[in-house]
Amino acid sequence: MQRQGFSSTAIIMHWLMAVTIFFLFISSWWMLALPFPSADFKYRVLPFQLHKNLGITIVFVLAILLYLRLRYRPAQAASTADQPWLRWLAVADHVLLYVLILTCCGSGYLSSAYSGWGTTLWWVLELPNWGYEDERLNIFYSDIHLWTCWALLALLSVHVSGAAYHAFRNDGVVGRMLR
Amino acid sequence: MSTATANSSGPGWASWLGVVAVIFGILQTAAHSNEWLTQKVIAPDTAAVQGIAPRCPEDELVEEGVSSAECELMVAKVRIMIASRPDWFRGFQMGLSTLGALVAFGSVFIGAALVQYRSWAPHLAVITFAGLLAIDAAGFAAAINTGPLLRATYLWNSLLWFFIHLVMTAGAVAGLRSAITGDHRQPVHS
Repeated sequence: MQRQGFSSTAIIMHWLMAVTIFFLFISSWWMLALPFPSADFKYRVLPFQLHKNLGITIVFVLAILLYLRLRYRPAQAASTADQPWLRWLAVADHVLLYVLILTCCGSGYLSSAYSGWGTTLWWVLELPNWGYEDERLNIFYSDIHLWTCWALLALLSVHVSGAAYHAFRNDGVVGRMLR
Repeated sequence: MSTATANSSGPGWASWLGVVAVIFGILQTAAHSNEWLTQKVIAPDTAAVQGIAPRCPEDELVEEGVSSAECELMVAKVRIMIASRPDWFRGFQMGLSTLGALVAFGSVFIGAALVQYRSWAPHLAVITFAGLLAIDAAGFAAAINTGPLLRATYLWNSLLWFFIHLVMTAGAVAGLRSAITGDHRQPVHS
């Protein structure tokens, strides 16, 4: 099934994910500067739980977005149809974005699972703590989390610059995600 | 999202201003939400200002790549926030950042409407960007009244956002005027 632009659900999910991802980047920078947790120092509890909840939620939202993207394929953007290298760049950027978001969130969850700290999804659903406390695995997944997230930030800048490029050309491409 | 009249080939100014509004709207929604969370987490009269020694176990220092000195200074960072802010600042910042996050998120939709060039978008863009400008100004004024340690943290950020929204507001006003007067100038070819 082909349509001119993306569906309203896909558009809303895309922009909510955009806000959430930047929220997670900014929060991760300052929450790691808060004192280590203890019985007295509880500053990290809320930001870390929120960070994990949002990360897990993003995976579900991304899954729905991918389903909608594949189920209701929009028609190819007119302005890139005649420029193969731009089309290739756009496809590669999107595929890599999906892969990096999933890897970034997945490695963060795995790091948490081996840290010994439990996760209660949105303070309601206690997730099964199938991992165990293992410092080596925690650091391993934490390193993957760190570097895939830096790579994601770099790729997001390519994504944003692409959107700005099309907006400045006023060629209608950006409008497909801004209906 | 709206069923209002859309013109996918709107003027260039609306397209670029729209995407700028979307990009900065997303970033500022995230920034304001983080400010709210920071103020929520750093509550007055908590462990950092009660003279309790921080916990800095060796394995966690290695895990996070933090030195022992840095671990102890993490408490100082929280103390700076609590010591340098007046009593009213926490509540004020939480209120302002809630409002800021809502208006900034709204500006994402206004930006989208500008790109699609809905007939009402230029008017609402002026109002929304001016609202963001007012929020930046209020944040700047509040930060001026904190201690020097917090002024160092807040003032430059506030100023940067103020000028971003100033330029966006000026762009929206100029676009609105050209839309009203029908002034769509074309590039001069010599």
